Amino acid sequence: MALAETTLPKPTASAASQERRAAWFLTAPALALMVLILLVPVVIAGVLSFTNYSLGNSGFDWVGIKNYDRLFTRSTYEKMFIATFTYVVTVVPISVGLGLGAALLINSLGRFREIYKTIYFLPVMATLLAMAIAWEFMLHPTIGMVNRTLEMGCGTFVESLWPFMAESCAGRFPVWLGDKRYAIWVISFIGIWQGFGFNMVLYLAGLTSVHRELYHAAEMDGAKSAWERFRLVTWPALGPTTVFVVTISCIRAFQVFDTIEAFWPQGGGPNKSTYVMMFAIFEKGVQQNLIGIGSAITMLFLVFVMFLTLIQRWLVERKVHYG
Amino acid sequence: MAGLKIENITKRFGETDVLKGVSLDIADGEFLSLVGPSGCGKSTLLRIIAGLEEQSSGEIYIGGAPVAGRRAADRNLSMVFQSYALYPHLSVAENIAVPLKMRRLSPLQRLPVLGRFMPGMRHQAAEIGTEITHAAKMLEIAHLLDRKPGQLSGGQRQRVALGRALVRDPTAFLLDEPLSNLDAKLRVQTRAEIAQLHRRLEATFIYVTHDQVEAMTMSDRIAVMMGGRILQCAAPDVVYDDPDTIEVAEFIGSPKINIVPVEVAETGEICLLDRKLDLLAQGRGKGVMSLGLRPEALRLAGEDAPIKGHVVHSENLGAELFVQIDAAGLGHPLTFRAAPRDRQALALGAPVGLAFDAAQALLFGADGLRVRDVRHHLPTQAEVA
Amino acid sequence: MTRDWWKHLILILGVIVVIAPFYMMVSYSFKSPGEIDRGEGGFFGRQEMMVDERCVKLRDPSRDDIAAAMDRFPGQTDAAIRTALVAEAEADCSMRPVVFNYSKAFTEAPLLRYLLNGVIVTASIFLIQVVVALPAAYALAKLKFWGRETVFGLVLFCLLIPVHAIALPLYIMLTKLGLTNSYAALVVPWTISVFGIFLMRQFFMTVPDDLIDAARMDGMSELAIVWRVMLPTAVPALMAFAIFSVVAHWNDYFWPRIVISGNRDLFTPPLGLREFKGDADGSFFGPMMATATVIVTPLIVAFLIAQKRFIEGITLSGMK
Repeated sequence: MALAETTLPKPTASAASQERRAAWFLTAPALALMVLILLVPVVIAGVLSFTNYSLGNSGFDWVGIKNYDRLFTRSTYEKMFIATFTYVVTVVPISVGLGLGAALLINSLGRFREIYKTIYFLPVMATLLAMAIAWEFMLHPTIGMVNRTLEMGCGTFVESLWPFMAESCAGRFPVWLGDKRYAIWVISFIGIWQGFGFNMVLYLAGLTSVHRELYHAAEMDGAKSAWERFRLVTWPALGPTTVFVVTISCIRAFQVFDTIEAFWPQGGGPNKSTYVMMFAIFEKGVQQNLIGIGSAITMLFLVFVMFLTLIQRWLVERKVHYG
Repeated sequence: MAGLKIENITKRFGETDVLKGVSLDIADGEFLSLVGPSGCGKSTLLRIIAGLEEQSSGEIYIGGAPVAGRRAADRNLSMVFQSYALYPHLSVAENIAVPLKMRRLSPLQRLPVLGRFMPGMRHQAAEIGTEITHAAKMLEIAHLLDRKPGQLSGGQRQRVALGRALVRDPTAFLLDEPLSNLDAKLRVQTRAEIAQLHRRLEATFIYVTHDQVEAMTMSDRIAVMMGGRILQCAAPDVVYDDPDTIEVAEFIGSPKINIVPVEVAETGEICLLDRKLDLLAQGRGKGVMSLGLRPEALRLAGEDAPIKGHVVHSENLGAELFVQIDAAGLGHPLTFRAAPRDRQALALGAPVGLAFDAAQALLFGADGLRVRDVRHHLPTQAEVA
Repeated sequence: MTRDWWKHLILILGVIVVIAPFYMMVSYSFKSPGEIDRGEGGFFGRQEMMVDERCVKLRDPSRDDIAAAMDRFPGQTDAAIRTALVAEAEADCSMRPVVFNYSKAFTEAPLLRYLLNGVIVTASIFLIQVVVALPAAYALAKLKFWGRETVFGLVLFCLLIPVHAIALPLYIMLTKLGLTNSYAALVVPWTISVFGIFLMRQFFMTVPDDLIDAARMDGMSELAIVWRVMLPTAVPALMAFAIFSVVAHWNDYFWPRIVISGNRDLFTPPLGLREFKGDADGSFFGPMMATATVIVTPLIVAFLIAQKRFIEGITLSGMK
């Protein structure tokens, strides 16, 4: 090949330029769409976040950082941040933990593994909006399955063990979605319910790559309890999986929208307790046509998500990569 | 340190019997190899000894005491795995430290961060450190202590695995094909090193391999396993020169032993290609038996040779020459070891006559068992009468 | 098995929680409003004949109807005829709850249209994604050209941007182009799948160069190589990607919610369900749950049939 290049410069040069032309021809559509659909909007959002633009207006004024300033001073947006972070901080660790726990349990079983795996994966597949509506019925204060089930515990020993039950039996059971104390936790619960199966499957895949002899080595080395073997072998081996699972759970959690829009089409829940960022973008930007503030939230959102992904890439390349 | 005794171990996986009653006595300080083709049950036996698997029946005694129900961690054995099984996230030093930490430190002291501040930790850590250095020096891996297993070559990983095994002074070392992942040259070198290590530690080694050369070169005794049974357990030269069965004879030795069919007459006379041999197997009745001839037992002979054929293939190894000879009347070619000086006479296609010394021929019955009551000279007429 | 009983106990508790809303959804889609209100009837409900009130109201006899029915009920008063006619209507309008729920699901709203829209949108998205991503992935994996590293860097950067996050500027752009409330609006933002490019590039890297050189020796153009050589080798990876893409876009609610307003003909299944919920009163729980069941079922059934592929596809993102 090298010989051909030196002795026959002409044809190879034209072959190379042909290859180059073909390559650009093949990448051009993707490149154009990438710029148009992904990069240009980011720039537009960045620009508009410094304006007071509205759709339908012919022009706009530059308002400097007023939109961002509003985000960090108004109590509505404080509630937005609180709701978003409460959701992320609740859903991510619990869904990752449950996913790992379920994967470990299922992996240690000889039989019925596939059945559990299938069932736990169902919520990942199902249309979240439909399931949100199903949950809404489940949580209906009077005819919902949840409160009906809880009511069965009234008058039994459960009441004495669990103060919540005693209180509810004496008075009434929570209205769940209508109660600002519970709303965000209910949303979080549904998020966990929907997401942990996904994490479980990723962990199960990670577990198959753990070398069996390592467990035997750990046993020989004196790791007698399951916990010690987990710490010595399983957990380190799942490092890369965990980094990935946590990042993707975070990004998904940041994007929560369907459940909230389904339960509270207006306003983001009782006392705005579930006013998460995606909903805020939708409400401010699309419904109320306040493009400036919507863009500012968009930019902030992008910063969070990119920051998370960059941390993940950094971790993957630096720490958990064993080579 | 103490010996091991294995008594009538059986193991079933579902419908298949992997081990069919294996008994073995291993002396203190002995180097014993379990050798056999893959699937013969040797690895399973090793893992049963280690406690990683449970036998279906039978008992194992370590230092005279039965270990039934005792976990692997409590048997004070250490093991070198085929894949080395090093913890990928730990450095070499940490890998070697694991068995010491697991045994000497309390669960509290082993806590990730807090452990460092537990009472007595400083002293313990220092002690573990010196032992790691000692082991590392012995294996010449002291300069690798800070590396991760991913950064090591196969040979280096193998040493680390050995280091982790020997750092805690176990009753016996169990080695599961530790050389199979090394390249040929390194394997020869490491073979010698493991043998030296054994002499130095004077510890009991149980070494599983499918490579009969490894077994022959390193062991005090070899246990040849096939089909879940130990066929023969003896010193390497005994297994080679005096095998109990035809399988053992065929498995041990490279190139493989030549097996030729012989006919035994009612009188015990043995005929190879219709030619009476200088051998007599009495009291066995009429039938077909097998004669085993090692390549070095054959020698070139002239016109009168019992086996005649021509050269079909030859391999020159420099110091010796292995020649394959297609002999008339025998199903498959015979391998014959020749001296390089005979090369001229052994050109491809050249006619060759082979003879052998009856004393070096191994006779096996139709059942594959060795026939040992053989006499090495033809009886006189008077004796027959 | 006996030693593992506690594991099964925990896992079964989990199963109950996971299954509960599915159970309820399907069960409600079988039951009559009364049974739903009182929480009785087990899973299938008692399936007693029920009367569709709306249907009866629609057939409420007018004066003309009564006059027309005179012949059939000779010699009776108007009031008696009226009662008889209402009874007739009730008889005609009574049906099993399960029939009621599912027929309502398809007649109250154009559910079939929604499903068809869902199929059109997900299929076009996937096809365009492949047409755009496959050649690019091939070029990035197998062709040497100046700027390749830059383009790939761009792909990696774009992986950081979730399309949902930039929904607002995309919405503005589409509005400016007058494209909202169209199929284009539903499809366009998803036509470029950077993840697809990345994934297929990783896959193509493993395809031996010899195969491509052989194709070139046979005189194929680069584009022909993409479709006639690379595409067939990439079928397993594409299957997984197809599942990934279809599941995401069939279930997507956020983006259709933004760009489609009012025009029912463009509703995707989740939007349709949302609207159903919006104007449903309490007695419509049954039909609504029937709608939800219909929307969720296709993917679940496909999943149960091809579980392994689905799990592979959905967790694709975990493969890198």
